[in-house]
Amino acid sequence: MEALANNLQVLFQGLALGSIYALVALGFVLIIRATNVVNFAQGDFAMLGGYAMILFTVGMPGNPELHIPGFAMHVPYGVAILLAAVVMAIIGLAFNYGVYYPLRNRSFLPVLISTLGASIFLQNTVLALFNPQPRPLDKLFNIEGVTIGGVFLDSQYLVILVFTILAVAFQYFFFEHTLIGKKLQATSQDKDMARLLGIPVTLMIIITFVYSAVLGGLAGMLVAPILFVSIGMGSTIALKAFAATIIGGFGDVAGAIVGGIIIGVIESFAAYYISVPYKDAYAFLALFLVLLFRPQGIFGEKVSEKA
Amino acid sequence: MRRLFLGCIATSVAAAVFSLPALAADTIKIGVVNETTGPNAEAGVYTVNGARLALEEINKAGGILGKQVELLLEDNQSTNPGTVLAYSKLAGEGVPAVIGPIRSTQTQAISPSVAKAGIPTMFGGTDPSLTHTGNPWLFRCRPNDSFSSLVIANFGVNTLKLKKWAIVHSTDAFGTGGMNALVQALKAYDITPVLVQGYTNNSQDFTPIVLAIKKSGADVIGSYMTNSPDVGIFAKQLRQLGLTTTWIGSPSVITDTALKLAGSGLYGVYGIADFTPGASTEAKAYADKYRAKYNLEADVYSSWAYDAMHVLANAINQAKSTDKEAIRKTILGTCGYKGVEGTYCFDENGDGLRGYNIVRNDEGKVVFIKHIDNPKK
Repeated sequence: MEALANNLQVLFQGLALGSIYALVALGFVLIIRATNVVNFAQGDFAMLGGYAMILFTVGMPGNPELHIPGFAMHVPYGVAILLAAVVMAIIGLAFNYGVYYPLRNRSFLPVLISTLGASIFLQNTVLALFNPQPRPLDKLFNIEGVTIGGVFLDSQYLVILVFTILAVAFQYFFFEHTLIGKKLQATSQDKDMARLLGIPVTLMIIITFVYSAVLGGLAGMLVAPILFVSIGMGSTIALKAFAATIIGGFGDVAGAIVGGIIIGVIESFAAYYISVPYKDAYAFLALFLVLLFRPQGIFGEKVSEKA
Repeated sequence: MRRLFLGCIATSVAAAVFSLPALAADTIKIGVVNETTGPNAEAGVYTVNGARLALEEINKAGGILGKQVELLLEDNQSTNPGTVLAYSKLAGEGVPAVIGPIRSTQTQAISPSVAKAGIPTMFGGTDPSLTHTGNPWLFRCRPNDSFSSLVIANFGVNTLKLKKWAIVHSTDAFGTGGMNALVQALKAYDITPVLVQGYTNNSQDFTPIVLAIKKSGADVIGSYMTNSPDVGIFAKQLRQLGLTTTWIGSPSVITDTALKLAGSGLYGVYGIADFTPGASTEAKAYADKYRAKYNLEADVYSSWAYDAMHVLANAINQAKSTDKEAIRKTILGTCGYKGVEGTYCFDENGDGLRGYNIVRNDEGKVVFIKHIDNPKK
């Protein structure tokens, strides 16, 4: 009985962490679909989401060395989420114009390096504005969690699971059943053709960056009460999320979700049954095996059909 | 008005001219290599605060060898090359003794210069090897890391009477070193840990570790964890899965950040610390004086420098000269001096302290439990 409870506990943790990977992976996939580029700052969107929550619920400590004044803000949690989402949308817009747009007619590599540079810039900006100490954030609901049959279900992890399901459903509907979603898909498959058909390609890409920044930010806000808010919080998640997009199939929405969950669950069980220090290795072992035996990923890659 | 102004200038110039040579002859200058600029500048301020507080007391009590004492500050820019430069500059000024850095890496950087200059140098880095390189001029005013595991084992086994140990450690150099030392320390009590569990830094989930501890039936956890977020996540998950196992951790479990992140998850946890305001009458008096003078809470960055100044002053007074070899001998002979970090008794390697304070997190407040000293080997 206790063994079963332990296994269920490990499964729950795996599913919950997998959902976080999946959420960040969704952001990756969106940008890959719109621009054919991997955004290496996707994890930093999660980090920025966490700090935006700190900004609105607690405030900013300030930096006397740089003459940046500190201030305190205490808006209600729900309002803070809305404000933080707005901040993330603005960041997504700025990201599009500052990082992607100037290089849009260049090849894959300059844009990739540009996102890598943006990642370093964002981390150091936050480091200068907030101090390097990690910060705690309250949970969405004021309860620790519930214990059912010896399995502890963290309330925040339940929120994450529910939100992931909603986000996936919304994204599926958006891409497959709305005109704007179809326009976004067309843009990702062939920009020139899409432009000839009268699709405003530039606007489509702006929408993608804004949406993906908000989604990444929300993932960060949701996970912050558990993993805390720190400069590096996005990096480890993004690495796993990137592996998830490859396992699921590069640029595939369902694949990102399944890939994220697979990585979370494999990691959790391998840590429990085999070894904790090598936990991270299993995720990448899974990635390696997929690349070896099914390089297109579980769900294949839609965009590759154009070639 | 104008005449008054000129008068003032004339007086002060005269005062300066006449007092300068007198000052130079009548004061003893102690060098301080300190982090005034760079990323550690905040800690550097505290170190100077501690040294200045000791300086005032020494001067009020008649100074050293009947002369007033001054501090000669040299900035090391929080870097190793900066430390070497600053040290050379002080050596060139002919100071009889130096208060060195609190960082192990900086201490290592100046070790050759210290040996060459032959100046008694007090430092605060805790890497055990620093006093074991055959350099006779280095004196440590904090307990080194090799004693922390002895204190954790001693407190758990002798005071709390707990025998079934689980060790949780980060797999980095600090965590693995600490784990090995703790396993060794427990061996002295004929105890083999029921579980030794490593994890990589920035783990997002400690559930497998918590379940393993549960399964092992351990009644005490000894930990060497590096990062505060890891401490926070582990502490929360431990309590969420219903474990109330006693926990004695390296200093990371009682840092301000860990306390903020983990909240109630760390209540009741024991940690070790080398300076605790409530540890002794000396420590309490120091914390009060420090607060009164600087309106700040005293911490280890200031306390070790305060002790170092007093140990030096006593040693020079005892040597009855500023001869460096004589001072070296009296520092080595110092035993029984009650400092704010503990009672100093130098061994032949130059390690002055061998003890730690055990503290407990009492609903978010760190309270002093007891001080455990290790015998001089």
